[in-house]
Amino acid sequence: MRRWRLWLLMAPALALLLAIFAAPLMHYLWLSTQAQSVLTGLKPVPIGAQQWLRLWNDGRFWQDTWQTLRFSAASVSLEMLLGLAVALLLHQPLCGRSLLRTISLLPWALPTTVMALGWRWIFNDPYGPINQLLAVLGLGAMPFLSNPNVTWLAAVGADTWKTTPFVALLLLAGLQTIPSDLYEAAALEGATAWQSLRRITLPLLTPYLLIAVLFRLAQALGVFDLIQVLTGGGPAGSTESLALYAYLNAMRFLDFGYSATLLLGSFAILLLLCGTAALVWRWSSRLQGELR
Amino acid sequence: MIPPRALRRWALLLVALVGSLSLGLWGLATERVEPVSVLMPAPFADATAELVSAFNRSHPRIALRVTRGPLETEAVSDLAISSLLLGESSYDLLLMDVSWTPKYAAAGWLEPLDAWLGPDALADLAPGADLGNAFGGQLWRFPLLADMGLLYWRTDLMEAPPRTPAELVAISRRLQREGRVPWGYVWQGKQYEGLSCVVLELLRGFGGHWLVDNEPQLDSPAAIAATGWLQDLVRQGITPAAVGNMGEPETLQLFQAGDAAFMRNWPYAMAELNKPGSPLRGKVAFTTMVSEEGEPHAATQGSWGFSLLAGSTHKAAAVEVLRFLTSADAQKQLNLRWGYTPTRLSVFEDPELLAANPALGDLQQALAAAVLRPLSPVYAQLSDLLYREVNTSITGDQPASTAMRQLQLNSERLLRSSGGEG
Amino acid sequence: MARMLLLLWSLGPMLWQLYSSLRPNEALSGMGTGGWTLEHYRQLLQSDPPFLTTLLNSVVVGASSTALTLALAVPCAYALSRLGRRQARALSALVAAAAAFPAVLLFLALLELARDWHLANQLLALSLPYAGLCLPLAILLLTAAFADIPIELEEAALIEGMGLWQRLRWILLPLMAPAIASSGLLVFLFSWNEYPIALTWLSRSDLLTLAPAMARIAGSSVYTIPYGAFAAATVLGSAPLILLMLLFQRQIISGLTQGAIKG
Repeated sequence: MRRWRLWLLMAPALALLLAIFAAPLMHYLWLSTQAQSVLTGLKPVPIGAQQWLRLWNDGRFWQDTWQTLRFSAASVSLEMLLGLAVALLLHQPLCGRSLLRTISLLPWALPTTVMALGWRWIFNDPYGPINQLLAVLGLGAMPFLSNPNVTWLAAVGADTWKTTPFVALLLLAGLQTIPSDLYEAAALEGATAWQSLRRITLPLLTPYLLIAVLFRLAQALGVFDLIQVLTGGGPAGSTESLALYAYLNAMRFLDFGYSATLLLGSFAILLLLCGTAALVWRWSSRLQGELR
Repeated sequence: MIPPRALRRWALLLVALVGSLSLGLWGLATERVEPVSVLMPAPFADATAELVSAFNRSHPRIALRVTRGPLETEAVSDLAISSLLLGESSYDLLLMDVSWTPKYAAAGWLEPLDAWLGPDALADLAPGADLGNAFGGQLWRFPLLADMGLLYWRTDLMEAPPRTPAELVAISRRLQREGRVPWGYVWQGKQYEGLSCVVLELLRGFGGHWLVDNEPQLDSPAAIAATGWLQDLVRQGITPAAVGNMGEPETLQLFQAGDAAFMRNWPYAMAELNKPGSPLRGKVAFTTMVSEEGEPHAATQGSWGFSLLAGSTHKAAAVEVLRFLTSADAQKQLNLRWGYTPTRLSVFEDPELLAANPALGDLQQALAAAVLRPLSPVYAQLSDLLYREVNTSITGDQPASTAMRQLQLNSERLLRSSGGEG
Repeated sequence: MARMLLLLWSLGPMLWQLYSSLRPNEALSGMGTGGWTLEHYRQLLQSDPPFLTTLLNSVVVGASSTALTLALAVPCAYALSRLGRRQARALSALVAAAAAFPAVLLFLALLELARDWHLANQLLALSLPYAGLCLPLAILLLTAAFADIPIELEEAALIEGMGLWQRLRWILLPLMAPAIASSGLLVFLFSWNEYPIALTWLSRSDLLTLAPAMARIAGSSVYTIPYGAFAAATVLGSAPLILLMLLFQRQIISGLTQGAIKG
């Protein structure tokens, strides 16, 4: 089919994609050099690099960056471990496997805000089921949602519960591409399950592991729904994420210029982390290829 | 015989006539009742429910509907802003906290009330309650209920309350040494708006100001002294370190259990402390906050009032609602039934109320000493910077001067980058 | 054994919500011995606005977003699958990156869009940003499915003199049906669960979709232990999606899996 016709077919979709993804980022770039807040009557006024200076010196921004990174690292690591375990489990030929697969995917299908409401109850001190269980076991109650040192872990737990199935499904797809005769050959040579996991499964699963990590990392760095409904950023701002801070600046403080700066800053951090991860993978896989 | 086409034509005409007639009649009928929609935080919606039904009964041409907003103060504002930002206004009146009014006014969402309420609209207001409603030469809000920060003291532990910070410390130390109370003074030190209220009172008491001509004055000696004093309270053990996590409920709980000689809180606490069965019933009085010699005894003013939204299509009816709900009778009922502090002078001096609640006179005096949080549209962000910094200094080791200097820089940067002159 | 653990882990929280939603508040806070009650559900269904309205709103947004996304994604995916390898790879990489992008970062620009173009508080208008956000995943899925169709089939059709539309209608789309169904379901699921954009574009309570409506319920209670009502809201909010998952499990799972392998 002629080349230009193909591009014509793609044009509407590509136009919408540019409008939804590229245009906002360009807009933020411009807006971050403006003051647009309630003090300017919500109209943009150019001020050069003031917003970026403010961002650099903003303790709350750096605190939120640290909190978001900490949340993402913990959440993604936990999801990968649990996801791999679940994928391995679902890979076994068992009866009721497909039903189990569907049930294990249910957490992912629910809206985050709906289940966040549920988690507020589950983590409730002292009436939620977890604290009731701790009480029955004779342990003290755990202030999941009111202790700044613990609440972020509760958020990680809730996030892991929701996204592990997605990772598991991804890895399961990868597992299904590994030919089973590799395992049979290894078993003949006397390899244990652990060894075949290390030598066969993990290396062949690497591309899928990496896609899962990159995807989940990008999503986790933008965590918003869960934090807003579960904790509102508290207690004492200890769970506030970058996205929530940017949102508050626009919708509560009516400071659009600074909100755009924060969003761009978050995007830069996202690009830095995911870009580094992707490059490291490319470099390491090329290295592996050369070694072979 | 009439030809069928003509018959059809006549039938169509008849239907059209009847249709438009009934539409017109229906329109006339519904035009009779004007809907007015008000957004209030849940507690106030409950408290005014009786007033609302009374209004609807006595004003058949106006249908007043109250939307019961969220419990949390900030959440109510978020709800209103979410529709105002989109250019829609589902409400005609908003019950506004005093610290939001400049923001909403600057964003152009409020209708000035001067034309509607007349030039002496604020005439009947008690001194202190009139603050925060008119600025920039226009009236933006009419206050319904007032609050002010108070220093509570134990009448069974001392003869008279302290009037200077040094006196407070001295009395606390003595009582603690004698083992009468484990702690001297509890206040709200959590990282939230309540801490800003605490700091403001003290700041004025030490002779300082938060904003002067839209310029922050937070690295002044007075500001450093005020923060330093709060820090010392914690360091010297007069205030528990847990104060960094305390809001109003927690301080009340501690004071009510008899564990502190002094508490800073709002008027509602008095009613709680004097409830039957309370261990401190009859043993507590309140006064204004301590201050240095020659400086005013300040009470941070909090108040809720009604504002008319610029986008409302039923302004006249809404103003009638406003008049009714803020009338002397309405305020009297709110005080008698629910214990809210009124704003009208006539209500404060009402003999029936004074008989039922003798402390009302003291509250009026405290209100006269009210100080307002800065009337800046970016107050929320300034407050955010302040309470974070102060909370960090009372829970950490940083000297007050460094903290305040940092706060000053941050505040200046905020004002500069959000379009204010800095 | 491990299977039991997995079942418990996946279903536990939801079953607890179901249990809590049927108990009166006193029982939940340990102050009474309780019994069972449907009070929370009654309150929820009779609230203002009625819960069913919220569900209907989500259905409208979901359906319109799905239709728009598919209408744009199918031709684009077809073209992409027929494009030269190098160009297609570069484009696919960009599209894949867009699929991972957290949508919340776009909320400010989209808010200004809604303000300036009066798109706020209109359910159908919401399908525009949603389609944009779902396009990457839909394109990836459909491109892979198109690529699976052997080119000979199309060439045979070409020889027979079929134009593009005829080829699409009679040959390609029937073969693509499973992939289209999967993409459609994933788009529908996304629209149901999306929160930040709906939060900023919809302010009228009778127009809210499920996710922001839930968040409003979360912020609104005056009671000390409101969790019976919260649990009921969680159950009612999850029920449609659970139903959707159970009915269409195969399509949804294969969609995700295919997206993973080929993406």
